[in-house]
Amino acid sequence: MKFFSFYKHRNLFFMISGGLILLGIIALLINGVQLDIQFKGGAILKYSYVGELNSDSVADFVSQKLNRLVSAQETKDLTTGETRVALELSGEYGMSATEQTDLNTALATAFPDNQLTSVETSLVEPFFGKMFLTKGIIAVVLAMLLILVYEWITFRKIGGLSAGVCALAALFHDLLMVFFTCVIARIPIGDTFVAVALSIIGYSINDTIVIFDRVRENHRRLPKESIDVVADLSIRQSMMRSVNTNVAVTLAVGLIYVFAARASLDSIISFALPMLIGSISGCYSTLCLAGPLWVMWQKSKEKKHNAPAPAAA
Amino acid sequence: MRVNKVTFWLVLGAVLLITWTAFFGLLGIPGANQMRFGIDIRGGVDAVFQPVDLNRLPTIEELESARSIIETRLDQKNILDREVTIDATNGDVIVRFPWKSDETDFNPQKAIAELGETAKLTFRDESGNILVDGKDVTKSVVEKNSQTSQYEVSLTFNDEGTTKFAEATKNNIGKKIGIYMDETLIKAPVVEDAIYSGRAAISNIGTYEDANSLAQKIAAGALPFSLEARNYSTISPSLGSGALNVMVTAGFWAFAIICILLLIYYRLSGVVACIALMLQVSGQLLALSIPQITLTLPGIAGVILSIGMGVDANVIISERISEEIKSGKSTQQAILIGFKNAFSSVFDGNITVMIVAIILMIFGSGSMLSFAYSLLTGVILNFLAGVTASHLMMRSLCKYPKLSREPLYESLSRRIVL
Repeated sequence: MKFFSFYKHRNLFFMISGGLILLGIIALLINGVQLDIQFKGGAILKYSYVGELNSDSVADFVSQKLNRLVSAQETKDLTTGETRVALELSGEYGMSATEQTDLNTALATAFPDNQLTSVETSLVEPFFGKMFLTKGIIAVVLAMLLILVYEWITFRKIGGLSAGVCALAALFHDLLMVFFTCVIARIPIGDTFVAVALSIIGYSINDTIVIFDRVRENHRRLPKESIDVVADLSIRQSMMRSVNTNVAVTLAVGLIYVFAARASLDSIISFALPMLIGSISGCYSTLCLAGPLWVMWQKSKEKKHNAPAPAAA
Repeated sequence: MRVNKVTFWLVLGAVLLITWTAFFGLLGIPGANQMRFGIDIRGGVDAVFQPVDLNRLPTIEELESARSIIETRLDQKNILDREVTIDATNGDVIVRFPWKSDETDFNPQKAIAELGETAKLTFRDESGNILVDGKDVTKSVVEKNSQTSQYEVSLTFNDEGTTKFAEATKNNIGKKIGIYMDETLIKAPVVEDAIYSGRAAISNIGTYEDANSLAQKIAAGALPFSLEARNYSTISPSLGSGALNVMVTAGFWAFAIICILLLIYYRLSGVVACIALMLQVSGQLLALSIPQITLTLPGIAGVILSIGMGVDANVIISERISEEIKSGKSTQQAILIGFKNAFSSVFDGNITVMIVAIILMIFGSGSMLSFAYSLLTGVILNFLAGVTASHLMMRSLCKYPKLSREPLYESLSRRIVL
């Protein structure tokens, strides 16, 4: 019986991933990174309203009143039928509660028929934004480093450093996919992103560990087999588990995404979509990237090891 | 541990009991119905108050006074369910309180603006005339009276205050002088003697905490700055409850579908996996509701992540058992070996997630802490439910001759060998 070899098809996978990353970079150049106001400071005010409302005229009104540029966007909650308008103010700073109270009164007077009511406000001063951003980055980087060290120790029998680095490469790939999803879907990078990134780090590393654990076990059982055969066997043996677990996670996160999209809840959408992409990518990168990369590393080490031998002989 | 036929039913009974408690509460143990939700779920206010026009970091004492102003005003507004914390490194006061769903005309921005206003502290006589202004108090500290060994609040006035206070005490001997913050009476001590020295002591206060709180409130009258929140978020309760509904509905359906898939794919191992998952979810809810940890949206993300890890542990174990059976082992042997083989990867996977959770606990702030907490408790539960409880149930089930038939433990996956 002929089996699909993940190692032999590695170039195909590298090309797919390379292509996706290229696509992401292009999207990045076009869309740019949108930092959440949580990470840079700024102001977003959301009001619910009734009847017909021209969001541009609201934006113009607020813009004149506050002397800041304003962009407005209308959303509708499909579950309750509530209509809302989101105002994003330019400039990376918040505003005081007194100013907003005045603004609320002014809006009520200017648009008497629409009953504009504040439903959500986020105001962030740049100082706090920078602090959260720094903490977020530190958390992600530190988590990755510690995982590398842990894998290095756990998998020392099968070349710990190489296993750790390959797991990290797969992880980095997944983080890129999550990041590009945010760029393409124009989801602002905020602390939700950090939560998703860390969840994906958890998932992806867990996936990779399951494979390397198998490699270690098969390597012990079949010490004579060549590395690529052992790796392929291990990947195929753990594949159904990877797929099944991912179906479960994708299902849960997918359902959350659908319900959140219906209620147009940005806070949940911005978490569910990247999480969805990240968990699929985590499954793919483990099976198709981490394993083959590790085999390549081991093979090149073998070559180096063997090369001087004939010269000496 | 010795396992017999009854073990399964004991575990199942415990799981059902824990599940019931988690959802409805039992014997005073709070269930999901008494869960403490963050303001992103139930609506509310999260504001950071900073000193206005102060070109240095406020001292701890000043921040304590600022906090006492805010606390007094929250009391005044009858907002009792709240968190007011001091962040000394950044010199601000963080205030969080929920927005009750029956308060339709509640104006959060106005409330925030009012909380930060300069406190006006006054000493008034019984007819309400202002005698001394809080600005004239230079020092307000707790001291222990060496004779009565009771706590007192010792006040020191500036020159103007000394004169005014002397006049005030002289005219009010035997009467009460009311100490007001804004329009709230915080204490009304009786004047025993005229005080000319500019130093007074308020006695008969009670515990150290009471005295300290009074001292801070009086000191607030002389606070050299007002507070302003330029960094805050408010969410209306309707928007918040929408978010909770989405999570609960999605969670319910996802759980149901995952259980059906596990049953179809892994048969009897699937049954055990479903019970273990139920334990994990309930345990997670209890880990949040018993210590009344605030559950935020990122916290729910953490719950989902750890349940995902729980599914994974069960899937790995079931696959391993099925593999052993397909290689010709007996059920008992397959369960033994399957668990042993699965353990190392489940262990490593969970430890790495634990690393992530601990890092987040150290570096995270606000809502991230909730994520880290649910992740950490989730991982621990994973070992308890996914590994220990599953193991006990499986070993017990295979003691029943009818339930130990090998095909019951075979998954739909193909066996792969070299």
